[in-house]
Amino acid sequence: MSDIWRLVRLLSPRRGWMLAGLGLAAMTLLANFGLLALSGWFLAATALTGLAGITAQNAFNFFTPSALVRFFATLRVGSRYAERLVTHEATFRLLADLRVWFYRRLEPLAPAALQTRRAGDLLNRIVTDIDTLNLFYLRVFVPVLTAIAAGLIMAAFFAFFSWPAALALIVGLSVNGILAPTLTSKKGAKPGAEISRITAALRTEYVEALQGMGELLVFGAAPAMQVRAAALNSELAAAQAEMGQVAGLGLALSGLAANATLLTVLIFGARRFETGGISASQVPMLVLGAMAAFEATAPLPAALQFVGQIKAAARRIFALADQAPPVPAPVLPAPVPENFGLELKNITLRYSPDGLAILDRFSLSVPQGRHIGIVGPSGAGKTTLINLLMRFHEYKGGEARFGGHDLRAYSSADMARYATIISQRSYLFHTTIRDNLLLANGAADEAALWHALGVAQLADFVRSLPAGLDSTVGEGGSKLSGGQARRVALARAVLKPAPWLILDEPTEGLDAETERAYLADLALILEGRTVLYITHRHAGLALMDEVYALRRGKAVRIS
Amino acid sequence: MSERIDPRLMREGRRARGALYGSIALGLVSAWVIIGQAVLLAKLVNSISFRHITLTPLLHWIVALGGLFLLRAGFTLGAELLASRASLAIKTGLRATMLEKLLARGPAWEAASAEVATTMLDGVETLEPYFSRYLPQMYLCVAVPLAILALVFPLDWISGLVLLVAGPLIPLFMVLVGYRAEAITQRQWEKLLQLGTHFLDVLQGLTTLKLFGRARDEISIIARISDDYRLTTMEGLRIAFLTSAVLEFFASLAIALVAVLFGARLIHGHFAFYPAFLVLLLAPEFFVPLRGLSVHYHARMSAIASAKQIFELLDAPALPRGTVALSTAENFDIICENLSYSYAGRAVVEDFTARFPAGRITVIVGASGAGKTTLSRLLLGFLAPTCGRILVNGQNLADVVPESWWRALAWVPQTPRLFHGSIEDNLALGLDAPDFARLRGAAARAHAYNFIESQPGKFSADVGEGGSKLSGGEIQRVALARAYARNAKLLILDEPTAHLDSRTASDILDAIFTLPEGSTVIIIAHRLAIAERADQILVMEGGRLIQSGTHESLMAVPGSYRSLVVAQKELANV
Repeated sequence: MSDIWRLVRLLSPRRGWMLAGLGLAAMTLLANFGLLALSGWFLAATALTGLAGITAQNAFNFFTPSALVRFFATLRVGSRYAERLVTHEATFRLLADLRVWFYRRLEPLAPAALQTRRAGDLLNRIVTDIDTLNLFYLRVFVPVLTAIAAGLIMAAFFAFFSWPAALALIVGLSVNGILAPTLTSKKGAKPGAEISRITAALRTEYVEALQGMGELLVFGAAPAMQVRAAALNSELAAAQAEMGQVAGLGLALSGLAANATLLTVLIFGARRFETGGISASQVPMLVLGAMAAFEATAPLPAALQFVGQIKAAARRIFALADQAPPVPAPVLPAPVPENFGLELKNITLRYSPDGLAILDRFSLSVPQGRHIGIVGPSGAGKTTLINLLMRFHEYKGGEARFGGHDLRAYSSADMARYATIISQRSYLFHTTIRDNLLLANGAADEAALWHALGVAQLADFVRSLPAGLDSTVGEGGSKLSGGQARRVALARAVLKPAPWLILDEPTEGLDAETERAYLADLALILEGRTVLYITHRHAGLALMDEVYALRRGKAVRIS
Repeated sequence: MSERIDPRLMREGRRARGALYGSIALGLVSAWVIIGQAVLLAKLVNSISFRHITLTPLLHWIVALGGLFLLRAGFTLGAELLASRASLAIKTGLRATMLEKLLARGPAWEAASAEVATTMLDGVETLEPYFSRYLPQMYLCVAVPLAILALVFPLDWISGLVLLVAGPLIPLFMVLVGYRAEAITQRQWEKLLQLGTHFLDVLQGLTTLKLFGRARDEISIIARISDDYRLTTMEGLRIAFLTSAVLEFFASLAIALVAVLFGARLIHGHFAFYPAFLVLLLAPEFFVPLRGLSVHYHARMSAIASAKQIFELLDAPALPRGTVALSTAENFDIICENLSYSYAGRAVVEDFTARFPAGRITVIVGASGAGKTTLSRLLLGFLAPTCGRILVNGQNLADVVPESWWRALAWVPQTPRLFHGSIEDNLALGLDAPDFARLRGAAARAHAYNFIESQPGKFSADVGEGGSKLSGGEIQRVALARAYARNAKLLILDEPTAHLDSRTASDILDAIFTLPEGSTVIIIAHRLAIAERADQILVMEGGRLIQSGTHESLMAVPGSYRSLVVAQKELANV
């Protein structure tokens, strides 16, 4: 329950919209209740008057009740429309809030907390779970609170005429709206969680099948994958069938409770009439009122069944959002660096407390403007060095100073201002070349973009595309060759004139001629910057002032 | 548009015809039970209020009413079970067919994988309410009002007329309003997809965003996209909700009108209470199926919107398939004859004629964009040549069953993809009876053995999504080991030494050049170090073969190859 309460508090900044929807929903229910109950009374009252003769007919106030009948009918139409608009508007506003809230929470965790998660799984979590949480308002909050409010008002109305009938109505509404759905949701919790789990697994399977289809086909592994997907699908069908069965039973029980209440109200009404407590016309009024009352609880089975899904989604989302950032944000504003030199002394970094020390009492001095090359086999900790510098991971022991200040005084956002990285994993977004470049410098104009592309040896290619800068690069840059994608990353570095430049295997995947031209152009943008060039190959190291080898977590000077 | 999609969806419904009809039949029967209930209830109220009969003599009517209530609960349950069973069969069948179609289309077809996965999961899921709610409701919408009218007209033709006029007007208005809403739902669905794709994109690139200090800016972009989504969707909903307003309008006003018209006649004693009350009890029931339809009509619109995407996937052209099994052979001799492939009007591979001799190592070099990867896709059968042909031991590849061709070869793509599971699972990909010694041997030959042994779980270590727990070089070596484990006589390697340090790269090259006698190897390479040791080098430029020969013969003449080599030599001295 605490997750649900936390969700309510999370949504509470929009309480104006939320309560307005609630009020309109209650009004819609009460208008219908009024319409039917009044019509029942009206029919019986006029019939009795008709039988009572001409004097009674003349004395009967026909106008007021018939006007009220029409009023309730009109009110019902207007409030129904307004209710739907307002509740949906509120839902969409809540959705935007939730997405932004979650992204804000996730952002400081990246990339450390995300490196182990499957991308497909993550997509599932965020889109589906956030959408699920978002439906909490529309499908749980509004129907439950409306049913309680309207149910109490209708029972209070009944109590004027017959206490037992009012009690029967409350019991009936509770069984119909709370007991039956609670049983349903209890029974539905397990299949509900199963459905989420299997759907996530199936999504991963499909995303993998699509992204690795070539390998699946050539290696003859497609049939096995199809069998796995089919097995997951039948598991999903089994869980959904169980859910359907539970829902059907709940529906039958709810219906029965409503009809039993109708019968009970009729019996109590008849008794009261026999003893002269109410008039003949009030019996049909109570019967029709009891019929209309159950509109209030009709959405509750679905609502309470949905609570199981909400809880599962909330648990996952909150668990992810509550992770402590791997690097605590500095308390004080970052000091302005006195220069752009870096001093690392006896730094140790491991990814988990009992894991291997990737950097082991590591020392390195990078004075401002110096060009330093770092070579080492894959897995030697070159990328870890970047994680250290960019404050993606916390280090233990030793001392790290940047520009004369403790490195811990800077957040990764601060470090991003001082350093540009061309990484072997530079990511291209599924948008235009222009947007991918503007990422590096939002203020860059057309000329600056073309200049950067020119330096990166990519201008001719982009010019040859029909849409030029506005051509899309495809998912993960799939429409570009590996070399072209790397050159977009280089162009980004040109656009962002940071004092530090960190090159992480920048020429991987380039052919010899392109690599040569690339390194020649790279030399131009190195000028005046402090450079860290991380590579496992020797090309381009001649551009460096000093070269170190990474061995067993330490830097060893080799030239 | 929807006219064409509805019948096709109905055809999909044939997968579960029995359950679907059963659910409709039960729905119709329970509608008659509702009418029976109303008659009994009206009789009881009339007896109590107007004939002053006490409850005891009415006991048999009360018991009968209770019995009808029980019967109705049973029907409700049965209809629910049948409908859910029907839609499950349809969804499961559709997903399997879609997967099959995607595989038949091949990997060269480009689509956002998250988008397709969303269609296959969430898109198919939106069909459920179409089959389990909308279709049965369609029948109830005709049957229930007709039954009620048949009862009401003999009782009071005026009320009958009110209901008769109000009833058909509702679907009419809903159709009028609904069409526009449908177009808007379609747009909203696309936005939803875009949002899903956008989110995946942002999350995958979150590190890059942070490196550029732009991660915070994305907050406002997410907010803006969500807001756009809200605005377009609400624009649609403002109209879509008119359908429910129209329904409420006719239903509420018809009830009010029936009540007021009866009141006017009852007050003068022109009419009896019993028939009037029965009609009033039935009037809300008259609109219940229509009310349900309005709810499920939206289900239909979402179903139609996703059905469009589903059918688009189902209708995608499959790769042409040969029908003859590849003749078994000890080794493979491959000839490309005037091979051309164009994409979007541009020739990517043009008039390519070359031989890949059996038991020899051929290296294809050329600048990026020269058509090397497209050539490998043609060889793999992921693309059908625009013209020309590929002969494998004299057999035209276009006639060959693709599976039998793939079984004969092993492949390492430019960016190898590992699948979730252990390293061992990945090494044994597609092997019928993987034996561990074979996998270990393959790992050793790919220089992956030592790093695998140093993993926490060794061969059973989890590789993470897409190999995210391994480095680029480690993924490369697992992919190479995976290819070796197949003991294929034909190897196609795209950049086998990418992501590797020079030491490991040269070890791996040694391993490639000591492959078992008779293996045909085709290597696509950027690093010319590989080419030096090849039996044959093919140089591509602009999709054409411009030079071929050995390293020595090509170095002896001025040309593309020599300038590439000179460039790389200079590079080492930069």
